[in-house]
Amino acid sequence: MTYHQATYDEPLLSEIHSDNRYKVPEADENIINLIPEELRTDNVNLPVIAEYDVVRHFTRLSQMNYGVDLGIYPLGSCTMKFNPKFADRIASMENFSETHPLVGDDSIQGSLRVMYELQVYLSELSDMDAVTLQPLAGAHGEYTGILIIRKYHESKGELEKRREIIIPDSAHGTNPASAAMAGFDVVEIPSSPDGTVDLDALKAALSDRTAAFMITNPNTLGLFEKRITEIAEIVHKSGALLYYDGANFNAIMGITSPGLMGFDVVHFNLHKTFATPHGGGGPGSGPVGVKKFLKEFLPIPVVEKSPDGKYFLNFDLRNTIGKVSPYYGAFSTILRAWAYITYHGSDGLTENTVRAVLNTNYLVSRLGNDFKIPFGKLKKHELVLTTENTGKRALDLAKYLIDLGIHAPTVYFPLNVHEDMMIEPTETVSKRDLDQFADALISASRQDEESLKHLPVNLSVGRIDEVKAARQLKLHW
Amino acid sequence: MEIEDSPLLKEIGFHSTDELFQDVPQKIRKKELKIPRGISEFELTHLSQEIASMNRSFRHNFLGNGIYDRIIPSSVDSIIGRSEFLTSYTPYQAEMSQGMLQSLFEFQSIISDLTGMDITNSSMYDGFTALGEAARMAYRINEGSEILVPETMYRSKLNVLHSYMTGLNVRLVPYGISPADGTIDLESLEGKINDNTSAIIAEQPSSLGNIDRNVAKISEIKKKALLITYYDPIALGVLKPPGETGSDINVMEGQQLGLHRNLGGPLLGILSFRNEFARKSPGRIIGESNDTQGKRAFVMTLQTREQHIRRAKAMSNICTNQALFAVAATSYLGIIGPSGLKKIALKTMENSQKLINSVSRSKMLKRELNGVPFSDVILKYSGKGDLQHKLAESGIAGGIELEKLIENPHRQLKGSVFLSVTEKTGTESLEALSKAIEVIQ
Repeated sequence: MTYHQATYDEPLLSEIHSDNRYKVPEADENIINLIPEELRTDNVNLPVIAEYDVVRHFTRLSQMNYGVDLGIYPLGSCTMKFNPKFADRIASMENFSETHPLVGDDSIQGSLRVMYELQVYLSELSDMDAVTLQPLAGAHGEYTGILIIRKYHESKGELEKRREIIIPDSAHGTNPASAAMAGFDVVEIPSSPDGTVDLDALKAALSDRTAAFMITNPNTLGLFEKRITEIAEIVHKSGALLYYDGANFNAIMGITSPGLMGFDVVHFNLHKTFATPHGGGGPGSGPVGVKKFLKEFLPIPVVEKSPDGKYFLNFDLRNTIGKVSPYYGAFSTILRAWAYITYHGSDGLTENTVRAVLNTNYLVSRLGNDFKIPFGKLKKHELVLTTENTGKRALDLAKYLIDLGIHAPTVYFPLNVHEDMMIEPTETVSKRDLDQFADALISASRQDEESLKHLPVNLSVGRIDEVKAARQLKLHW
Repeated sequence: MEIEDSPLLKEIGFHSTDELFQDVPQKIRKKELKIPRGISEFELTHLSQEIASMNRSFRHNFLGNGIYDRIIPSSVDSIIGRSEFLTSYTPYQAEMSQGMLQSLFEFQSIISDLTGMDITNSSMYDGFTALGEAARMAYRINEGSEILVPETMYRSKLNVLHSYMTGLNVRLVPYGISPADGTIDLESLEGKINDNTSAIIAEQPSSLGNIDRNVAKISEIKKKALLITYYDPIALGVLKPPGETGSDINVMEGQQLGLHRNLGGPLLGILSFRNEFARKSPGRIIGESNDTQGKRAFVMTLQTREQHIRRAKAMSNICTNQALFAVAATSYLGIIGPSGLKKIALKTMENSQKLINSVSRSKMLKRELNGVPFSDVILKYSGKGDLQHKLAESGIAGGIELEKLIENPHRQLKGSVFLSVTEKTGTESLEALSKAIEVIQ
């Protein structure tokens, strides 16, 4: 029982021609004369299609797309877990979805309560003291976090000299990109032979020029940094701050926390850890939590509760970095994450973590005989294996999997393992599906190399010419 | 089944789940999680309904200024509710994700057609952050040290733009907007353009709500600077597109194209630009190619600009964007069609004229700004107290003070308020508004 993609040879929307009869209120045509003639147009360049054809077109396209509702989606660091339907239902309640952002605090006490509670829950889960829900994605959270760190050093008069942010070579690509975007120089340090942070390299890189050290724990190899408190200590001793990339938070939620480990700033990915749907690439949401001494730098507004129980938007933060997005964040995503936490509760959230880690380690034991899995057996939320010992390319094995209708893991990331696959099963997958996945991957490694090159053949298209796509740019129909 | 009895645990040779976390030192273990225990779906839904009812719903809506209550065809919600779209990840495995990739390619195409721009990427977070990215992009292209912004730009938009300029050697320099008709003061703008000008940001309609004929004249005076326009996409039902009036980069907020207001998020950022800037642009781009059999196929392209490959040298850190809402906008534009968009734009303008008429008898609200408003109508308010608060008592949302949106408004405009309309604004709402105004002292 695996995914069978539909093949429609679906035309482009612009290639469909039918009558558009969609009704909108009739308007007074003469109104157009109010517009200066040189600005007016009579020619709106859009395709003319019937509503039923638009619906059929996108329904057919949807059947040519894999989603987590169809099965295992083991992309590493993406935490593709089941997205509960109750959250969609709650997000579509009109009193939530039809609310204007400028309507005033008195009229949105319900929405503010949800935001306030989520701030409290995220603070508790991470052992941070204050949270902003404004950032719109993981990378956006990182950017926000780095702006906070920047402002902190600025407030201490040290920004001129603290120009560097240290990042391990196994970090997500967004880490160096976010740091550079906020005007810092990125210093990359190699991992130690056991795959974790090389303390000597870190010590050598740290100086009074360091603004922050950005890491995720567990790291992208699925390894827990056991010496994290020591790392925190030496980072803080140099006057730098410690940033937690929350992409891998699903590995530890309820077991330990960034706050306990000594981190100062953390971002969360609501579309990963908190099961909000990823929508084919977004919307996401990337709240940021900070320790008390950084609260004054958070973007405005934050949601607070007055002693009389009224919720309000507080725009009055002494040293705020300003704003990173138009209003208060991705509210309907925030609402879904709140629903997820409220449903699972303290008991369920921790159990989900345990199940996610158990599933990963089960895959380690299933795959360990056929593939080299570097850096020890015990993993957290994800594992990284290399296909090198099988003589096959990771990309080819991925295509074998998708040809069978099983979504492939992330390939060629992290960058410090060659021909690698990064596999994150999450907690919402049965033993049966884990076995099916492992069997398929093992079977892939035993195929004839030449035959793998021709895959996929059972999907709507075969292997795509990516070089042509980049060289002969065609970005418009 | 209790997790401690899981067969998986035995398979890996562990006796207890504790062993899974033996690498997490005891001293950093979480002792207690102060979050209530879980509840059932029934209880959660009930609780959510109760909390939702703490929000106030208004019968009559006159709030806008960037987020609007517009017609959303039922089909749009239905399409983006398809779980194959809703629950999919970024299309890394292209062959398995052709549906989303083709949809995003269509989004790029339909927006490029609508705006007359060469290239549109597959979406940004929202209009404001897309504007920030557009400004960064302009700086990458010409390294000019000044970006000119309209003096009336909303504080929140300006704040986001400021955040996005962090670390760049760029100054935001305001240029004049005429307090007489809310259009760009071309003389003021021209006086600020020099060899260091990286870009000029122009809004259409302007922050004061009016259609601005001068946006089209900037290309004549801009010299080497890039023109970044910020258009209302609905206004493109009646206005010449930015691609025909000299825009180098065009930004839009796409919420109006089929998205619910959702307290202002998540939204849809739309970024378009001229061909020659492709390799300096941020964000994901979908390209058409073919498979090994020569069959048309779609794939993410120009990825060497992006963070997962270029890391610290990437054009931007953005990866997650608003793909699902790009599909919503494409469906919306497909369903509404060219004549529908035109009608919606005209109806909006018709309603803003009706609004001006219906408040004209009031002594407290005067239209003093000349020129033609699109959705947002600015009116001078001479009554006492907060109009928005007073209207709320009559079940009307609207009347936001100009000072809440703009840092230092023109002296002549101080104490003004906004009332905004869309094609949905009905006669009964306009009547309710004029009645409410009559009794407000």
